Amino acid sequence: MKKTNFTRFKFLAVLLTLFALVIFVQMVRIQNSTDAEYLDKWAANYGYEIRTIQSERGYIYDRWGNLLAGNKEVYEIGIELQFVKNPAAIASTMSNLLDMDYGFVFKAANTPYVPGQTVYITLADYILYSQIEELSALKTKYENNNPYGEDPNKPSLRGLVWTPHLQRTYPEHTLASNVLGFYTFYDREGGAGYYGVEEKYDALLAGTKKNIMISLDPYEMQEIPTAPPGASLVLTIDREMQRSVEKILDQAVAANKANSGSIIVMNPENGEILAMANTPRIDPNAYWEYENIFPAGSSYNKSVNQVYEPGSIFKVLTMAAALDAGVVTPLTPFTDLGVINVGGWDIYNWDRGAWGEQNMIGCMQHSLNVCLSWIATQLGPDRFYDYLERFGIGHRTNIDLAGEEVYPLSVPGDPTWYTVNLATNSFGQGVAVTPIQFLMAASSIANDGMMMAPHVLKSYIQDGKQYDTTPQVVGKPISAETARTLTDMLAISLEQEASDALVEGYRVAGKTGTAEIAVNGQYSSNQTNASFIGWGPVDDPKFIVFVWLEKPRSSIWGSIVAAPVFRDVVNEIVVLMDIPPDDVRLSMTSE
Amino acid sequence: MAEPQENKTRRKEKAVKKNRLVQAFKQAPWRGRVQMAGGFLVGLVIIILIASVYLSISGQAASAGLEAYRLDLKRLDLERQIANTNARIAIVSSAANMEARALELGFQRINPDEALYLTIPGYPGKQSMTIASAPASAKNEPYLVKSVYRESLWDWLFTGINSLSDSVIGSGE
Repeated sequence: MKKTNFTRFKFLAVLLTLFALVIFVQMVRIQNSTDAEYLDKWAANYGYEIRTIQSERGYIYDRWGNLLAGNKEVYEIGIELQFVKNPAAIASTMSNLLDMDYGFVFKAANTPYVPGQTVYITLADYILYSQIEELSALKTKYENNNPYGEDPNKPSLRGLVWTPHLQRTYPEHTLASNVLGFYTFYDREGGAGYYGVEEKYDALLAGTKKNIMISLDPYEMQEIPTAPPGASLVLTIDREMQRSVEKILDQAVAANKANSGSIIVMNPENGEILAMANTPRIDPNAYWEYENIFPAGSSYNKSVNQVYEPGSIFKVLTMAAALDAGVVTPLTPFTDLGVINVGGWDIYNWDRGAWGEQNMIGCMQHSLNVCLSWIATQLGPDRFYDYLERFGIGHRTNIDLAGEEVYPLSVPGDPTWYTVNLATNSFGQGVAVTPIQFLMAASSIANDGMMMAPHVLKSYIQDGKQYDTTPQVVGKPISAETARTLTDMLAISLEQEASDALVEGYRVAGKTGTAEIAVNGQYSSNQTNASFIGWGPVDDPKFIVFVWLEKPRSSIWGSIVAAPVFRDVVNEIVVLMDIPPDDVRLSMTSE
Repeated sequence: MAEPQENKTRRKEKAVKKNRLVQAFKQAPWRGRVQMAGGFLVGLVIIILIASVYLSISGQAASAGLEAYRLDLKRLDLERQIANTNARIAIVSSAANMEARALELGFQRINPDEALYLTIPGYPGKQSMTIASAPASAKNEPYLVKSVYRESLWDWLFTGINSLSDSVIGSGE
């Protein structure tokens, strides 16, 4: 090889070696430079993302799959201070589009960026997608006119960002809100369910929530954990029926100038609550109105959260006990003299009249306090209260709705119990129940003596599987024969009375109740709780309906204000439940 | 005696060849340097090849990692969109809206005495809704990422050796 070639080789080798050395020196210099520490910190800050993994809150459906509670997408708008180019443009845009205070936004957008400390400021939250669309279009337009926001004289929305998240929503607004409860979605960290199924099944609906660190280094690949959604609930509620019943209740409360009202429709065969209407109702989408709609002391769901003296509807339980114990039969005669003395106290009828010769059907038809007091004395306190215990009076039904109330039942031996209680309790005074408690007790009469646990959860969906709940038998307080006998007696009494509760084409059984309300320790004759309990069709009951109007002013009588409400409800629900009129049904059955 | 003579001749020829090579290298010392440079270059090529493979695999891993991250964000986005769509459908088909639309279309509420009931053999009546799936994906497999993306070269090697030894020796169970 020529010497010149060798020299070239040497020169090249030296050059490459020098180049490699320069690279090596530069590497060492970078590693040990004063900026290295800052770069390390910067990388540490941006190397990981702390993400909150939160389950989507479970849905709530009615029995037919109509969504009663779901989630919708909303946005949080904030400023990433590091990228802000034109604070005035951001303030102006937010002021115009979202009606925000210009000064507040301008000040926020002008906040100095301090790495690791002040990097992001939240401007607004729960912004709808339609508004974000407008904002996005404007941001793109500004960016096209002023790329990277480099021209300070042109508007730029750089730094303005929005991130989506979910918000609880109730598409039916006030419908069944007393059953659903509400979720405090404005509290993104500590939101919780209140009242109804939202509270009762809060843990099930909520699923899981945890904070995790995700490496943003693509080399450190890892599985990003997911949170399975919260369980979804399918309720026994029928949306159409609920709507119809709420309409009827609202009209009844308004027409009778009642303080409030409550209607429950249940299937006595399995305890499924088909409709539970109450007034007042709140739109859970605006749950913060709670204190305005439910002032202190008022109940969110009167059907479950409020006890009251039921009055004469309670007589069905007394009569059921007496028939079951064999103390009376439907035709047992009773001479009503208009007064009976029990425990030293005189008991009178509702009209202070004497109704003369009656049988047990007449006693129920005319709702005679004297007769029922006599029946209770014939039963005796032990058997009477034993039956009330069996009917679940004084105990919670354990319905799956939050905040169920109960009023303890005074029994012989209690300091609050006197002999006269036996008489007054027999016609529903001196005893207090929640509507659901009484409905459950009475449902045993409509279901051949079998008392089913009332419930609103039909099934729940978890991990992609749907689990059906099983109807629970609470007890069998009376025999099937007693139940059928009493049902027939109550149907006859309604028919003989030509009650407003009668429904054309359908034979129904029921009982009115008018309970005077105690005011300052004295029963008031012009303030009452008007109630009605009824079920049908008599030969094969498919529904039981409870009606309660609190302090009606058009009339104080349950037979005048509550019985027609029952009829209106039945007229609606027989269509919705596909129950043909009795003659049609029986002819179809016989075919 | 013929065989030792042949060996001697061969040894002589070998020595001559060696001498010629030594002489050649002495006469042109750049040959040795070229040989060294060649060796160095071969080493360099091997290093470059390994580096290329490493870079290629790293690039793919990084790309897969970014894709996984992007897909996860997409999944979250889709879950929100599904929830939002469900809510919008529910609003559109709410009881109040459906009733209003029905009335607009000329439907009227039926009275019980207007209804015509027919017996349809085998028809069980209106059944409660069975909702097949939860609001978001309920699939909860222990590992979504393929093992090839999770295990190191050593993991892969040891797993392979273990499975090979199991197949040859048997798992012992």
